[in-house]
Amino acid sequence: MHPVQLFHWHFMAYPYLPPDFDERFDTGWVTVPNSLWDRERTDGLYQEYIDQSVEAAELGFDGLVLNEHHQNIYGLMPSPNIIAAALTQRTERAKLVVLGNLLPLHLNPLRVAEEYAMIDSISGGRLIAGFAVGGGPEAYNYNIPSPQARQRFWEAIDLILRTWTEDGPFEHEGPSYPLRYVNIWPKPRQTPHPTVWIPGALSAETMDHVAKRGFDYFLSSRTHGAATRQARERFAEILGRNGDTYHPFRMGVLLSVYVAETDEQAREEAEEGVWYFLKYCLKGHLRRTGRTLTFGPGVPSQSVRSWRAFLENSEPGAPMLGDAEDWDELESKASIVVGSPATVREKLWDLIEQAEVGNLLIQFHFGNMKDALARKSARLFAEEVAPALRERSADLFARKYPMLADRPAASAAE
Amino acid sequence: MSGREIALPRGRTVGIAEAGDGPAVVYLHGIADIHGASFGWLPFHEALAERFSLIAPAHPGCAESSEDEELETVDDLVFHYLELFDALGIGTLRLAGSCIGGWIAAEIAVRHPERVERLALIGPTGLFVPGAPIADVFWETHPADGVSFAALRALLFGDAESEVARKMFPDLRGGIDQEVLRYKLFRFASRVGFSPPYLHDRRLAGRLARYRAPALAIQGEDDRLVPRRHGEVYAEGFGDARLEIVPGAGHSAFAERPEAVARLVADFLAAP
Repeated sequence: MHPVQLFHWHFMAYPYLPPDFDERFDTGWVTVPNSLWDRERTDGLYQEYIDQSVEAAELGFDGLVLNEHHQNIYGLMPSPNIIAAALTQRTERAKLVVLGNLLPLHLNPLRVAEEYAMIDSISGGRLIAGFAVGGGPEAYNYNIPSPQARQRFWEAIDLILRTWTEDGPFEHEGPSYPLRYVNIWPKPRQTPHPTVWIPGALSAETMDHVAKRGFDYFLSSRTHGAATRQARERFAEILGRNGDTYHPFRMGVLLSVYVAETDEQAREEAEEGVWYFLKYCLKGHLRRTGRTLTFGPGVPSQSVRSWRAFLENSEPGAPMLGDAEDWDELESKASIVVGSPATVREKLWDLIEQAEVGNLLIQFHFGNMKDALARKSARLFAEEVAPALRERSADLFARKYPMLADRPAASAAE
Repeated sequence: MSGREIALPRGRTVGIAEAGDGPAVVYLHGIADIHGASFGWLPFHEALAERFSLIAPAHPGCAESSEDEELETVDDLVFHYLELFDALGIGTLRLAGSCIGGWIAAEIAVRHPERVERLALIGPTGLFVPGAPIADVFWETHPADGVSFAALRALLFGDAESEVARKMFPDLRGGIDQEVLRYKLFRFASRVGFSPPYLHDRRLAGRLARYRAPALAIQGEDDRLVPRRHGEVYAEGFGDARLEIVPGAGHSAFAERPEAVARLVADFLAAP
């Protein structure tokens, strides 16, 4: 059986911003002053977030997801590897998904190869290794020239994969990371190497790189609907062109979910955290108001041709996810699923059925959401949403992707 | 204005705009400039072309020039332009540049002082001056509230709401071709000028004394991209240079006070 894989993603937002944050600051990234950091209230904050992740593993989630961000309020993990290391000691079966290390920000990809190998070794082979370029804010944080970042990124990945699969010492000739002696200790536990996930935002160029290397694709968009299905179709086509075949576990999507006993209660409990997330955490990233740093001529990572296509297919100054003005508008964007177990089940099932995607990476904690609520939501999801999704998806995938029968079952829940 | 395309080794092509008669002047463009944010000549260039044969190549990746995936540092640009001068049959030359183009011109002059007869720089970036950093023009390309480029205009012009500023950097969005032209400029600038932050070469200040032929640095009095101290360091560092401050102008003084700046540059370059 190959049911949908359900992952618990914690972003670890900074939850103590002042109520007048939106009036005073035009971004939650890069220049948001760290004088706002409260040294006393943050005592135990990482512990609270780690405990939520550990509890998710105990509830039977297939894996825990962490990611890297710098100098921002959206995610307090400049080094997700540190959190992953902590989780190796508190969990036994869950996959540890680091999605990912931002390679152009690292001085030397060998360090990433080594740390990932350590996590894989310590965890007994539970690492899913994500690699990402890093969005606009990160380009400013580490002053990475965007036009060169992608080239360096793929060179770094190829070098890391070589360190995991070839015996050293060998020489890497560059051009960005020339090294005379490549010979990492330890090697990762998994053979030939940990599963690799690469995030992308629909670009065919990234999908092509992913397909050529036999990696899996993660759609980092926060908006779902027809675009998610189109992403799968495009990726499937590109895999086909590379002599490979799509199945649902070749792709993952990011979702945000809050579950409570009833629709009304879910909305009531989620609203504060959701608005904090949209208006504060997304300010500077996916919100028009203020200063959005994620895309633009200041971080010109896209080719000129892609930029022209983007201009031709977008409205200047169009509102983004964080610009939603009321709950109805938010619901219409299908980005954040809030409701009773039945409501969430149906909405997620629609997505699975439409997109035929097998890895759901789900955010349960929003902005300043209280610990008890985030835990309750994850528990209700695990108990009242997950079983049906697993059962129905296993049937659907078995029917539509018979070649999965030859694949070993991977679910931690089984 | 006429244009042509020059082929260089490694498959590069350079788009060149040319106008006027007289002694040759090579002009290296900046941001609010031909090939950067304007498809054609500005009044400043037209005034120069009345006295000189003006040759304005587009930097790699800008306007009609091909992008160079191997371009990483300003050193690469120096070689790029030496190869272009060779291809054009230019031995020694009068060299002018504004903004990023001024930086590149200065780098060429300190490496090959024997080839540069006279050097005119308008609001040149390029220097590291402790305590007086070049502002972050990249950041200001992200519009405020998704629509306003007022802060970008304020960096590039003395009067952010002037007609020339609003024409080159309109709020919301200009035509798609114009947006793409600007994107190309910033993609080029990011390659050589995003790191270290921003648009400079730490070693340049220590090399300025190598250039001993006459040099002129010009800055708008309200240049908010390049602090005044940079103009002073250029003028003090070269062997024979002066700094002219243009009143009523910001970083793009040549676009804001075209007659005054063209007269300064032309009189300087025309001197024997």
